[in-house]
Amino acid sequence: MSTIIVDKIAKSFGATQAVQDVSFEVRPGEIFGLLGPNGSGKTTSIRVILDIYQPDSGSVTILGGPMTNEKLNQIGYIPEERGLYQDVPLDRCLTYLATLKGLTEEQITERLPKYLAKFDLTDHAKKKAKELSKGMQQKGQLIAALIHDPEIVIIDEPFSALDPVNTQLVKDLLIEQRNAGKTIVMCTHQMNQVEQLCDRLVLIDHGRVLLQGELSEVFDRFRTNEVIIDSLDPLPEELNGVSRIEQLNGGYRLTPQAGLSAHQLLDELLAQGIKLNSFEVAVPTLDEIFIKVVKEGNGKHE
Amino acid sequence: MNKTMNVARYEYLHHVVNKRFWLSLVSVPLGFGLILVISLLLSRFSFDTRPVGIVDNGSLIQIEPDNSKESTFFNPQIYLNVYPDESIARSAASTGEIQGFAIVPEDYAAGYQLTYWTNKQPDSSVQSVITDFISANLMAAENIDYAVLHRIREGSSISLQSLDGSQTSDGTGWHRIVVPAVIGILNFIVVMTSGGYLLKALVEEKENRTIEIMLTSVPSREIMAGKIVGNLGVGLTQIVVWVLLLGIAGFLFRSKLGFLADINLSGSYLVISLALMVLSFLFTAALMATIGAAMTSTEESQGVIGLMVPPMMFPFYFFNVFLSNPNGILARVLSFIPLSAPLALSLRMAISSVSPLEIGLVFVVIITFTLLMFWLAGVVFKRGMLQYSRRLRFKEIFKKETRNA
Repeated sequence: MSTIIVDKIAKSFGATQAVQDVSFEVRPGEIFGLLGPNGSGKTTSIRVILDIYQPDSGSVTILGGPMTNEKLNQIGYIPEERGLYQDVPLDRCLTYLATLKGLTEEQITERLPKYLAKFDLTDHAKKKAKELSKGMQQKGQLIAALIHDPEIVIIDEPFSALDPVNTQLVKDLLIEQRNAGKTIVMCTHQMNQVEQLCDRLVLIDHGRVLLQGELSEVFDRFRTNEVIIDSLDPLPEELNGVSRIEQLNGGYRLTPQAGLSAHQLLDELLAQGIKLNSFEVAVPTLDEIFIKVVKEGNGKHE
Repeated sequence: MNKTMNVARYEYLHHVVNKRFWLSLVSVPLGFGLILVISLLLSRFSFDTRPVGIVDNGSLIQIEPDNSKESTFFNPQIYLNVYPDESIARSAASTGEIQGFAIVPEDYAAGYQLTYWTNKQPDSSVQSVITDFISANLMAAENIDYAVLHRIREGSSISLQSLDGSQTSDGTGWHRIVVPAVIGILNFIVVMTSGGYLLKALVEEKENRTIEIMLTSVPSREIMAGKIVGNLGVGLTQIVVWVLLLGIAGFLFRSKLGFLADINLSGSYLVISLALMVLSFLFTAALMATIGAAMTSTEESQGVIGLMVPPMMFPFYFFNVFLSNPNGILARVLSFIPLSAPLALSLRMAISSVSPLEIGLVFVVIITFTLLMFWLAGVVFKRGMLQYSRRLRFKEIFKKETRNA
């Protein structure tokens, strides 16, 4: 059974249609990527899931039913921007937010120091949020989202403002959560992080779903039989078996003629005396897929 | 309910466990006290205590001036010196020994006109001292006791009684309006400061997006209820501290405050006034929550709050109308408006008879207004708190309600 089922939700604000007919499912114990350009409807979708907004139509099923006050305690959420009291010491702010998630003072006393230590924030616990760097604030928010050990964690841009060391820390943490059976929904623009972390994804633009599925399925769907080679000598303008040659920085992208597989193309190149340093099947990056799908989607909208 | 109390506790402690709160809390009565002391000192030091001379050319004076009363710092006396002729009195005035002198002319009985010689504007006390002395001598000439003069000057006190005997009010002096005036001022300060805290907290939570985390933890109505309860606690703390400070000041200066005994404080009057203050606070807090949720910035919300001040101050603006006609239409209408009710009704109860039925009706109306405002605040809070860049539109408030609202 899916942890979250979003079924044909629509939400408008005045004349603006924020999301329309959006459906997707998030399975237990997976990291799910909710992707889309700015203003695509990601945040509105999250707010509908969190029951902050009531959809105009459609429904959301979460942990087997509609949202209840009790289920709020099973969710950890980090909004994209800030989310901490700026004039309050970090430990007091986190204690308060933890009480709102139903933790007792004893539980907070036991857990908070461990989380602060884990995120290297022990020495900054008495500082006000406004005195902390953006990265530290982001880590503070992560503590607020995780301290009550939620079943579902929803994070908007988890890696923004983090340096490489802390980015790795957060990645490890998300993987740790997934391994512990938690469900994670991650909104991000950083496609390399999605490639490394997400099991499945949905891509939204202009409030509509443009693409969704398992990460491997998505790559397969956009995989071409193009190859990238690095040759010892410059290539001639035309080659047998090749319909298009594109010069890259330090190599070439070759598009085989219709019906020709990658290994058949390799045979053709060798037969024509091309001396190769490297030969690899071109797999599109998620960035490329993202741009391609969004552009195609925009074309449809126009 | 637990989460509501968690929110309330946080809101309360966030303000009360704060040096700035206590500083501002103590500085208000201290400021008032300081202003009072400075004005008293200025008044005292500008008060001329030098004697006043009397030259009797009309053979009026039969009794000596009574200069036996001790002149103290808090109760200064102006003594009278009788001079045998004008030249000696003028000489004393020139050297500053006396502040001036009055001449009783030979034909005083023809017009009862005195001339007072001085180089400065005399204090009103000077005129009292002279006229009292002249009156006492005129009465002595008619063999009337001097004490009778005081009795005549004090007049009679009138006690008011309602026809059904349920309401009693003694006298018509200042002490009847001092309590409602203090209630009105306290209500204004408490509502505006702790209500202001509430508004500030809401706008800040909106600006720093903390509200998004809160809304995914606690239903919006519980958040709002917790904030209002917490800030009500802040307001009550302010009142308790001020009353304690007033009590301490009253105890320390009890010998100088004998006039306070004239103030009539009945238990029911205080209970009704306090209950009205609490209801008024709840209404205003819900109104502030509505404004805070609907607006996008602190500056924008401050402008709207300015509109709340006049209704709260209406009873002060129309004080004369209240005093002359406490049960007139204006006074009654203001008693039913939550923002003006604490002052309006307590003022009316202090200076006239207000029927229990009308008091009950005022409570029913204000409770209804307060509940409606809570409902409205809940809806606006839910819909407006996540609109960061634009103000909530009126028609959006009444769209279909959500589960979490």
